[in-house]
Amino acid sequence: MNQTSLQQLLESHHREAYIWARQCCCFDSELAKDVLQLTYLKILEGKAKLNDAAKAKTWLFSIIRYTAVDELRKGGKMLPLAEDHELIDLPEEVDYTDYDAIIKLLPVMQQQVILMVFYHQMTIEQSAEVLQIQLGTARTHYARGKKKLKELILKSQTEANHGK
Amino acid sequence: MENDELIKSFFEDMRTKDQNLEIPEFPKPKTRSINWIIPVGIAASLFLAGFLFFEKEPEVKAPAEVIIITLEEGPNNEQQFKIQESTYLDTWESGTSSLLTEF
Repeated sequence: MNQTSLQQLLESHHREAYIWARQCCCFDSELAKDVLQLTYLKILEGKAKLNDAAKAKTWLFSIIRYTAVDELRKGGKMLPLAEDHELIDLPEEVDYTDYDAIIKLLPVMQQQVILMVFYHQMTIEQSAEVLQIQLGTARTHYARGKKKLKELILKSQTEANHGK
Repeated sequence: MENDELIKSFFEDMRTKDQNLEIPEFPKPKTRSINWIIPVGIAASLFLAGFLFFEKEPEVKAPAEVIIITLEEGPNNEQQFKIQESTYLDTWESGTSSLLTEF
């Protein structure tokens, strides 16, 4: 793929790439901008190569994620990838409209699988490719993430109803 | 299935809220100046090296004028200086050559 078509590809995915970068950076918009810049640089300098144009989105998301992990580690803001500790007691109050905060209550791997499937309309297989994990592992994160997210949503909705 | 509907609805709302997110402009890639600086630099260095290598050494030119001052004996046996101007020095006589010829 030549430089021009690569740029067109990146431009066509730019909005979604930024949102994914932000989600990978604990919803830090400024860090997400830096991560996206670094990602584009890696791609345009040929450090990351796309072998299958059909998997462009998966490939781009994977580079963004790994770049975000590196940047978060540099800033000392993230646990190692292998440490996917379980949640986390439900907080006292959950605001239903604070979507970012609710997502952040899930363990990182569950967050990312759930976001890819429900927000970015990807399959569990694609999310496993992005995270470079086994499909079975991705399915486990998906199932657990969904269960916990449902609890959080129900809790926030109950609180909202009581508040009225 | 009900679970999925709840979650789908949650993400639908989240996407709607994210419509207000300020998306940074897609960065226009700049052509790296290093791409053309390197060959231009090499060409300039080669040109300079060739120029210095083939430069001719300056020719040493004879002075435009030579002044020849000789001491000669005049008609009344007096000594007199004779001053000549010439563009080149074609003859030269040692000042002490008379010592060789007159003895």
